[in-house]
Amino acid sequence: MNKNFVLYAAILIFGLAAPFIFPAFKVQLSILCVLIVLATTWNIQGGEMGYNSFGNILFYGLGMYLCASVQVGMFFPLAEWTESGGEKTFVHTPTQFFQGMAVGLVVAAVVPTIVAGLIGYSILGLRGHYFAICTLGLGVAAGEISGGIEIIGAGQGFTTPPFPNVGSLEARGEFFYFLSFFTLVLTFIAVRSIYSTRFKLILNAIRDNEDKAEAMGIETMKYKIIGWMISAFFCGLAGGIMGGLVGYIDSTDVAFDGREMGVFMVLMAILGGKGTLWGPIIGATIFHIFKEGFWTFFLGWQYVALGVLIVVIVIYFPEGIMGWLREKYPERFGEVVDEKDRKAQVELK
Amino acid sequence: MRLNKIILSFVSALVILFSTSVASFAKVVGDKIILGAAISLTGKYSSNGVHTQNGYNMAVDRINSMGGVKVGGKTYKFDIIYYDDESNPKRAAQLAERLISQDGVEFMLGPYSSGLTKAIAPVTEKYGVPMVEANGASRSLFTKGYKYLFAVLAPANLYLDVAIETAVELNGGKPVRIAQAFEQDAFSQDVRLGILDAAERTGSKIIIDDKLPKELNDMAATLVKVKQMKPDVLVVSGHTKGALTAIRQIAEMKVDVPMLAMTHCDAAKLSKQHGKNSQYALCASQWHKSLTYKDDFFKDGMTYAADFEKEFGYDPPYQSAESSAALLVFKDAFERANSFDQKKVRDALAATNMQTFYGNIKFAPGGQNVDKPMVLFQVMCDASGSCENKVVAPLKWASAKLIHPIPKWSER
Repeated sequence: MNKNFVLYAAILIFGLAAPFIFPAFKVQLSILCVLIVLATTWNIQGGEMGYNSFGNILFYGLGMYLCASVQVGMFFPLAEWTESGGEKTFVHTPTQFFQGMAVGLVVAAVVPTIVAGLIGYSILGLRGHYFAICTLGLGVAAGEISGGIEIIGAGQGFTTPPFPNVGSLEARGEFFYFLSFFTLVLTFIAVRSIYSTRFKLILNAIRDNEDKAEAMGIETMKYKIIGWMISAFFCGLAGGIMGGLVGYIDSTDVAFDGREMGVFMVLMAILGGKGTLWGPIIGATIFHIFKEGFWTFFLGWQYVALGVLIVVIVIYFPEGIMGWLREKYPERFGEVVDEKDRKAQVELK
Repeated sequence: MRLNKIILSFVSALVILFSTSVASFAKVVGDKIILGAAISLTGKYSSNGVHTQNGYNMAVDRINSMGGVKVGGKTYKFDIIYYDDESNPKRAAQLAERLISQDGVEFMLGPYSSGLTKAIAPVTEKYGVPMVEANGASRSLFTKGYKYLFAVLAPANLYLDVAIETAVELNGGKPVRIAQAFEQDAFSQDVRLGILDAAERTGSKIIIDDKLPKELNDMAATLVKVKQMKPDVLVVSGHTKGALTAIRQIAEMKVDVPMLAMTHCDAAKLSKQHGKNSQYALCASQWHKSLTYKDDFFKDGMTYAADFEKEFGYDPPYQSAESSAALLVFKDAFERANSFDQKKVRDALAATNMQTFYGNIKFAPGGQNVDKPMVLFQVMCDASGSCENKVVAPLKWASAKLIHPIPKWSER
């Protein structure tokens, strides 16, 4: 327990100090936080529940558009802002910007949660490949539909409100970093506390054998929907932040970016080890560092390098890094269980 | 318990990795002026990204070999740091941030496409980094009041409205019926706006108005409608893939339409790739090698085209020419500012008024080039089947007469 506390404190301090230690990397660090949030929440479905969802990108994109629209719409006519060809930029005062962002983020988190509840009811009845394909379609459809809605810029894209001038050039980077780091901490706390309850066991039961779980009297549908709503909440939040950070929303390339973000979140969770708490976090971090590195050193070949990385992962770490570690050093993972087990047995006697 | 140790050592490894990878460049190192550029080397814009990069490189080599840039009595050479933006606006914005805050770049060249330029402009604007861009034509880039953005090209809404006006003229001044299909991206949607304006001006009617997906490789649905409704003009815009898809399917489906107006014909190397099938296509272009502009570095369009072909093995599309022109603009501005101060260079850029082989360059307050008209060329083939792009409008540069209407497929 104490050691855990030291670990968390160390990470928290590192997280808080990071933008000052590496001031040039603020944007990358913010994106890393967002990636971890996406991988961690994907793991609720893909890892713990055994439902491979490619649809979480839907909530991410929805959150992005909603946050930006609210932030603009609260103070200025949205239609003029996004009017194709002649979009105007009204300047937010700092107060307007932050108020808009705050309300926008709330909406960006709440609406996708509701949407997840509604569509979850209808599609979480699908299983296996059918569920995966259906969710894949959701993201693609959302991208194409949003690309035709004029009020959010359609094919022209949506420029999010520029960061107000609050004196320092570094302010924007710091603001978005702390916002995404805070979201990451919030996600971690939420997911960790969920995983320490019966809820996680139910999700695992659904993964291992849904019919048996149902036969044991678990209302699997209810838990599946709740799980998805939790993911949607944080994905929406992450999307809202990412929209502001990138500064420009495009329907298929930035918001409903199933081809990149949608696949990456799955890849990161698998790389780190799905079905574990730390797996997605480690996976996302390594993935991000590798990707940034490949970009710089293998210009033009980065996707080839990334492809090789994926092949290596699949062949040598099929269970992800955490899974590999567990297999290699079972005592480091097993110790805890054995200790408890032993104690429990002693108590029984 | 040991797990914590693993994670802790992992975190510390991360710290070391991050801190060692902080590379430092600067805007001007020794005798080098370092420019930054995010270019689409992969992804859907990769072919045009390469055209852009080739254009930049060609101009860098030429300027460096002809004496470089003279600032404050010293001679400097250009150098460019490239990154691959993967044709993705999110990546482009991130890379702009990276070029400026990590690599210390103080002057930027633009990426390929309006969408990516739209993503990068807020970043360069925030840091006050002057950016000369050659491939972001969307009108909305110039209505936002950006102070550090300069485009050597004419805005996208002017690309094809001339074609509509020409069609009306050839129709005896009577309105025409227009069918149009545009990709869902910032640039093509702006071309569409230009057509809407032209249609309103001439009283023409738009009978088909389709949107095409981004990864464009099928537009048969639109073409079926075109076959049924027989419009007078068919307008298609969707970067290189749009041009290639349109020609391929029009030929396959034998769609007869009196006028076919497009963008990106030269970037798609239509006349080479599709030969006679691409005949009669009318294309909007920022530049054509037969135009008579001149400068000291590339002489004129014909010389530029010959040199480019020698270096890269293909005829330069206008994307390359305008990219080369961006470097000429930067050189001119540095020398006039006689300083590397970003504000001074910005002011010098704003006061640009010069002629390059690519055209006259003079920036409006919004940043767009107002001194260079668009040209239209038509793909024309001879009996042997070899095809060439010939300028047909405006008349000042026309080297051939527009062939109108396009003969039916049954008569070709």
